[in-house]
Amino acid sequence: MRLELKNIRKSFGEKEVLKEISFSAESGRAFGLLGRNGAGKTTTIRILMDVFSGDKGEIQIDGNPIDYTQIRIGYLPEERGLYPKKKIIDQLIYFARLHGMKRQEAVKAIDYWLDRLGMSEYRNKRLDTLSKGNQQKIQLVTALAHDPQIVILDEPFSGLDPVNAMLLKDVVKEEIAKGKIVLFSSHQMNYIEEFCDSIAILNGGKIVLQGNIHDIKHNYVRDKLVVRSEEADAIRERFGSCCLKRTANELLIQMAGAEEKQRMMKQLTEAYDIDEIKIFEPSLNDIFVEYAGDQD
Amino acid sequence: MKQFGTIFQFELISYFKNKVFVGVTVFLVVVIAAVMFFPNIMDIIDGEKTEVAEEAGYSGSGDTADGAAHGEDREIQGIALLSVPTEDSQRAEEIQNAFQAAFLEYEVLLTEEEPERIKEQVISGQAECAFVLNSMTSYKYYVDNLSMYDMSTETADEVLRNIGRMEVMVSSGMSVEEANAALSVVIDHETESLGKDQMQNFFYTYIMIFALYMVILLYGQMVATNVATEKSSRAMELLITSAKPVSMMFGKVVASCLAGFIQLLAVFGSAILFYSINKNQWEGNIIVASIFDMPLELFVYMLIFFVLGFFIYAFMFGAIGSTASKVEDINTSVMPVTLLFVAGFILVIMSMSDGNVDSLLMRICSYVPFVSPMAMFTRIAMSTVPFYEILISIVVLIVSVVGIGVISAKIYRVGVLLYGTTPKIGSIIKAVRKA
Repeated sequence: MRLELKNIRKSFGEKEVLKEISFSAESGRAFGLLGRNGAGKTTTIRILMDVFSGDKGEIQIDGNPIDYTQIRIGYLPEERGLYPKKKIIDQLIYFARLHGMKRQEAVKAIDYWLDRLGMSEYRNKRLDTLSKGNQQKIQLVTALAHDPQIVILDEPFSGLDPVNAMLLKDVVKEEIAKGKIVLFSSHQMNYIEEFCDSIAILNGGKIVLQGNIHDIKHNYVRDKLVVRSEEADAIRERFGSCCLKRTANELLIQMAGAEEKQRMMKQLTEAYDIDEIKIFEPSLNDIFVEYAGDQD
Repeated sequence: MKQFGTIFQFELISYFKNKVFVGVTVFLVVVIAAVMFFPNIMDIIDGEKTEVAEEAGYSGSGDTADGAAHGEDREIQGIALLSVPTEDSQRAEEIQNAFQAAFLEYEVLLTEEEPERIKEQVISGQAECAFVLNSMTSYKYYVDNLSMYDMSTETADEVLRNIGRMEVMVSSGMSVEEANAALSVVIDHETESLGKDQMQNFFYTYIMIFALYMVILLYGQMVATNVATEKSSRAMELLITSAKPVSMMFGKVVASCLAGFIQLLAVFGSAILFYSINKNQWEGNIIVASIFDMPLELFVYMLIFFVLGFFIYAFMFGAIGSTASKVEDINTSVMPVTLLFVAGFILVIMSMSDGNVDSLLMRICSYVPFVSPMAMFTRIAMSTVPFYEILISIVVLIVSVVGIGVISAKIYRVGVLLYGTTPKIGSIIKAVRKA
């Protein structure tokens, strides 16, 4: 199955929130939707979930307009919250039934998930008697119980302790392995790198970068050098504004172009006492900061 | 539709699981039961007392029993002082007797004290009141606290008027007996109300209007709070992605309408049930008997106006609830709607106590959707309204319910997604137009 968003536009009043958003995600793969707060991620997710429709553009499944009666979507919102005063099992059944499940099916699926997440003992408790992390696990059940084909997880790891984070990682991997489309939104890039094959970075309502993470990294313009040297200060004086300090004796030098590599390396190693010199390969974090840094 | 059913069921069950809802309903039923069984309980207690008395052989002599009965009949509340403008003690006594005959609740005593002294006696409570006669056509009435229902001056006027008439008649040659007979002709009359008898239907109309008022206001507020709670607990984030706002809104409103209706049914049903069990005990009580003597068709009208009135307000309350970000904001946000409703209620209650439920204002109000449920219902209950007028009122209400339902659902759709400060009315209207 292939989910495609095509040229989605959306304005609220005068403000254009989404400007021609297009991306696609596939079954059995996780897709990372990145962007700073206010970049348009939640609006994109809401349009995808048919909370409201875009002013323009289309959402397709395998080339046909999406049919919400056929496609089940599970959603873990960034702003967590259920009914604090109600029994956990009651509200889980309620949400599963809102997604079209029959009561019996719902109970069976919920019991499976409560067991899977180690939450069975809280089944008949009120939500507000649980810790934050456990409440989050309950919320995860609402996203997964109705066996959705598309799973949207917005900051799923925030607030989880390392043990629970591990458990959630396993669950996410299982969902991907089951052939679901997993849309992932997070600011914790290590998780994105761990799960996602492809990403899209949103900035000011536009997609500023998208594609396979490996390709993005590989195609990143290789025009910066990482230099580690005891003579870092001297090198900085020599290169001036082209040179950034990374750590005490590690520098990042911007070259005039990728073809300068050989010449620059030679020049540096001959002139200074260099411990290490290599082409700069950005982490996803670096890429994110570069592309999402300035918001229009 | 399926979602509507799920939401409706969830919301309704929430009401039945709500301890306050169940508690209040049970409490009301118990209070009604206590009131309705009160005469029976009193009978049992009295019965026990009489039995004890009879067993002990206290039957008492006829004389004392009579005296006691006489005393009880008169139920003397205190002393009324009477100062008369005559030296003639026989005439003074005649006037005293006339006053005594008219004021059974007082022991009328003649006094010759100065007005200042008389006032002191009234203030100190030695006497309940005092009549100081300057002449046979003018007097001063002293009383400590003048009650709203004090009719003493009317009675005293009548006494003096009769004395005056009597004197004129006697002086023009009639015998005292003839004059007495002429003055005390008893007129026999009978009233037959061809429309509605307001004396009789006042109480049940009042109770029903009050029930309508309480239920609509209470449940309307509950709908608003319910929506705001979902927003503030962020359950709304998940809800809006799981269900259509229109289903959510209608599910909630219909569920709370049914919950309110069930509560009304429990209260009124138990009242009718307990009354019919104790009917014999209550036959003497005109007010209670009149309450339960309401026609069935009025019940049907109450049902119609309850449901329609409820929907109109619950939709508005739901829409308002959706624009609030915090539950605390609800109280101020619902104020305009609550005021509108309270104003309608006061108008209706005032017209009812005036006895003029067909005034121009009431006629107009019985077609204005926000007040018509109460205004038209009152008119139907207390006056005779042509059927076509009722029909117009109901049709106007239905159209308004649909219209307000649609607008509210739109506000709801927009409102549930707005967080932060409560949005201004202008920005809501803009957003709704776009939606």
